[in-house]
Amino acid sequence: MTTTRAGRRRLRRLVPWGALLPMALTVLVGYLGTALWSLRVSLSSSRTFPQDDFVGLAQYERLFTNERWLLSLQNLAVYGVLFIAACMVIGFLLAVFIDQKVQGEGLLRTVFLYPYAMSFVATGLVWQWVLNPGSGLQEAVRRMGWPEFSFDWIIDQDKVIYTIVIASVWQASGLVMALMLAGLRGIDEDLWKAARIDGIPAWRVYLSIVLPMLGSTVATVFVLLFTGVVKVFDSVVSMTQGGPGTASDVPAKFIMDHLFGRANIALASAGSMVLLATVLALVAPVLYARSRGAAGKGLQ
Amino acid sequence: MTLPIHLSRPLRCRVASAWRGVVLVLAAAAAAAQAAPQGPASAPKAEVIHWWTSGGESAAVKTLSDAYRAAGGTWVDMAVALGEQARSVAINRIIGGNPPTAAQFNTSRQFLDIVEQGMLNPMDEVAARDGWDKFLPETVLNVVRVKGHYYAVPVDIHMPAWIWYSKAAFKQAGIAAEPKSFDELFAALDKLKAAGLTPLAHGGQSWQDNIVFTAVLTNVGGRELYLKVLRDRDRAAIQSDAFKNVLLTFKRLQGYVDKASPGRNWNDATAMLITGKAGVQFMGDWAKGEFTLAGQVAGREYGCIAGFGPASPYIIQGDVFVFPKTTNPEAMRAQKLLASVITSPATQVAFSIKKGSIPIRTDVDASKMDVCAQQGLAIMKDKSRQIGNGEVYLTPDQNGALADILTAFWNRNVPVEKVQKDIAAALK
Amino acid sequence: MSAVPGSIRSLPRRRARRWNVGRIGVHAFLVTAALFFLAPLYIMLTTSFKSMDEIRLGHLFALPLAPSLDAWRTAWSEACTGVSCEGVRVGFWNSVAIVVPSTVVPIAIGALNGYALSFWRPRGANLLFGVLMLGAFIPVQVMIYPLVKILAALGLFSSLSGIVAVHVVFSMPVMTLLFRNYYATIPPELFKAARIDGGGFWRIFAQLMLPMSTPIIVVAAIMQITGVWNDYILGLVFAGRDNLPMTVQLNNVINTTTGERLYNVNMAATILTSLVPLLVYFVSGRWFVRGIAAGAVKG
Repeated sequence: MTTTRAGRRRLRRLVPWGALLPMALTVLVGYLGTALWSLRVSLSSSRTFPQDDFVGLAQYERLFTNERWLLSLQNLAVYGVLFIAACMVIGFLLAVFIDQKVQGEGLLRTVFLYPYAMSFVATGLVWQWVLNPGSGLQEAVRRMGWPEFSFDWIIDQDKVIYTIVIASVWQASGLVMALMLAGLRGIDEDLWKAARIDGIPAWRVYLSIVLPMLGSTVATVFVLLFTGVVKVFDSVVSMTQGGPGTASDVPAKFIMDHLFGRANIALASAGSMVLLATVLALVAPVLYARSRGAAGKGLQ
Repeated sequence: MTLPIHLSRPLRCRVASAWRGVVLVLAAAAAAAQAAPQGPASAPKAEVIHWWTSGGESAAVKTLSDAYRAAGGTWVDMAVALGEQARSVAINRIIGGNPPTAAQFNTSRQFLDIVEQGMLNPMDEVAARDGWDKFLPETVLNVVRVKGHYYAVPVDIHMPAWIWYSKAAFKQAGIAAEPKSFDELFAALDKLKAAGLTPLAHGGQSWQDNIVFTAVLTNVGGRELYLKVLRDRDRAAIQSDAFKNVLLTFKRLQGYVDKASPGRNWNDATAMLITGKAGVQFMGDWAKGEFTLAGQVAGREYGCIAGFGPASPYIIQGDVFVFPKTTNPEAMRAQKLLASVITSPATQVAFSIKKGSIPIRTDVDASKMDVCAQQGLAIMKDKSRQIGNGEVYLTPDQNGALADILTAFWNRNVPVEKVQKDIAAALK
Repeated sequence: MSAVPGSIRSLPRRRARRWNVGRIGVHAFLVTAALFFLAPLYIMLTTSFKSMDEIRLGHLFALPLAPSLDAWRTAWSEACTGVSCEGVRVGFWNSVAIVVPSTVVPIAIGALNGYALSFWRPRGANLLFGVLMLGAFIPVQVMIYPLVKILAALGLFSSLSGIVAVHVVFSMPVMTLLFRNYYATIPPELFKAARIDGGGFWRIFAQLMLPMSTPIIVVAAIMQITGVWNDYILGLVFAGRDNLPMTVQLNNVINTTTGERLYNVNMAATILTSLVPLLVYFVSGRWFVRGIAAGAVKG
């Protein structure tokens, strides 16, 4: 049996698919399969173990009449916007400034990255101590001579979520910096020469020329931060345990509590389905617009 | 093996049956060899999943492993911090087909689902032989005995709502005597506030808020109301004025807490008592561990109150071991040995001294235990004062929902009628 | 006055770096940021050198009165993590055994995926990638039950291969994303030229794309090593008792519901556990070099 040219071409077209086989398997079995299983469980009355019964949307009803869940969604929105914005800005600035041939670049990079290396169980506790009005920053500044200084967000029902943002930004900005730095270092050196010859000030170069060129890096960073936001859990547990009361609760903590402690996997699954649906709702229009744009430019 | 074709038929049949016989004999011999003990029996090996990881807890669980070793067994340790994590690891191991020999749960309804799925080995033999019905408190028996079978062995009894006070702080505030009622407690708190100390040391975490509530419910509400609300989930009782009074007293205590309490770990609140900066704390008997670490002694630097009045209920919270289903005879032997060793009086006393809990049986020698534990054991002898913790009566989900409502009430200004309504709905 | 852009390496040596306002501003910003980032580390270090009595006094920013290494020694080899009290060093080699394959394999697969998705674009692959990315939003714990059943069916539950497989599954979205977006910045002319030269799928990958991917491999390695080294819940459930990573001991040392808390030991234990990722960050510096991709276009 001789292989024809067409046959060989067909075989070659299959090679990329063959290379993607692990990904396909993971997606179908690991992710899609689990998501569908989760969906099925959320429509049942499962407690510790999955049950086969069918209760319709009862779990979802319970979810949306639960004050704690609704508050956690609210917190997630506030946290998400602030966290992503702050990380992007700080990470970008750090990357740009480090890129300026400063002394001790290696040391500085490690300083900004080390929070990412440490377990949040301990660093979260440190932040709790620092932000605690009795023993932390407020007390220290007052003792230094400003008796009116007040920084007690962590015990304030409405402001506690901001403290989670502060600690989380501290932990994640270093990684954003590393990614942006990798992207910056991929930019052609001649660009700087040309910009200087044209007499464009550096900040304009960064804003109008470099930033657009970092488009895909920014996209990567954004997606990474977004997944971190949706799954935020460790920082809340180690800093405030969702408190005071339930003021800093987040969806992931709600889900986790019901998955393990409260032995109610049906409610937990319903929660994670809602979370997934929210993400889909936010992401789908963007993807649609991009695919339209790509179609307009003509497929490569 | 094929028979040579040229043999005559009758001879072939006889050779065939001879071969069949040989094979049968060999098979029987092999089976007999399997069933017979393989030389000297290996020591029963028990892999135990538990969440006792701190220094004091480690010393306590060592008493169990030492006792097990003395009885001829080998203890293989699998410690996982935090109860929720440990229990979920145990369940995952059971589902994954690699179950441990024993797993720790609380004296609660946590393991009922696993029993329902038929995933546990009952310890009926051991219970009958050792006479569990005779020495286990009624509350504990009702938890470990499910549909007539004994699925868990109780390990300890903790009381979550002791009232601790710092003698130094009391002296500074001019409080002469230990408070004997809730009114006297409020008077003492006022004196502490006037003296510039923190009256109530509290860690603002949901479970700690729950402990304060439990203490108020038993001491102000009384045994009847407690059982009606938490065990019977009686709607009328929850909406009653008596329960409203309990909730209002609970909220009143919040006024004596310092501003920085939200999120604080319970150890840090006890530290305030140890350093004499605060007067009173509601916490379980495990708090003794922190005092001991700082070199303080019960009755000398700090005092402990189990409850107000001679009939105050003693709340039972505790830990049990369950035994995942296995038909392996070695594993089953290990499980039964463990169940027996744990309930023996000597092991119970040794464990309780290190753990800060009290034994599950009152027929033990309490002379080496500290004064607070001895007090607790004496109260336990009175059956009418035994009562279970919320998790003994409520499912984990109901208990959690109640905790959410209580912690919201503690931290925010929610009208008490709404709290009553929410609790009635959560405990439906 | 604008700051001098960072391409001085290519200029003649004669040009000295001027300490103008812009440069001072850059350094000032970096130093201030560094102080903010270092503050918690300062507290962790001072706490780890204090005694518990001192810590109970609650003076967070004070230097230790009588600094001692006791907490460090305890954390490394004496802290109780259950019946055994041997500190966090017990799980060190287990963590290494888990991290090495769990970094190499996902990076290899991620690079391959990114390469196939960026340049070859087989039909329907983008949809698959979209679903993969959506999977990254599901909290890990929700997926544990089904994964336990699947691994048990494959006979991999409670084993080293099992935990590596789990890490591969969970890191695939991020790794693929990193490489796909990185390869998107590489000029497509490069790829077309290589195909015209007769290169096939694997040859172009091995001889052209991989060598150019060094910066992103470094970043991916940083993320993966950190993520896997610090992973707790997956190692706890899937690795089996004999392969438990260091984080399990760390958590046993730090976390307790009703046990006493030794904060100095906890801080020391945390720093000890994070030394490996920190070392990786520090030595990865030499690979953050510039212009590899840019240079290739002209070359």
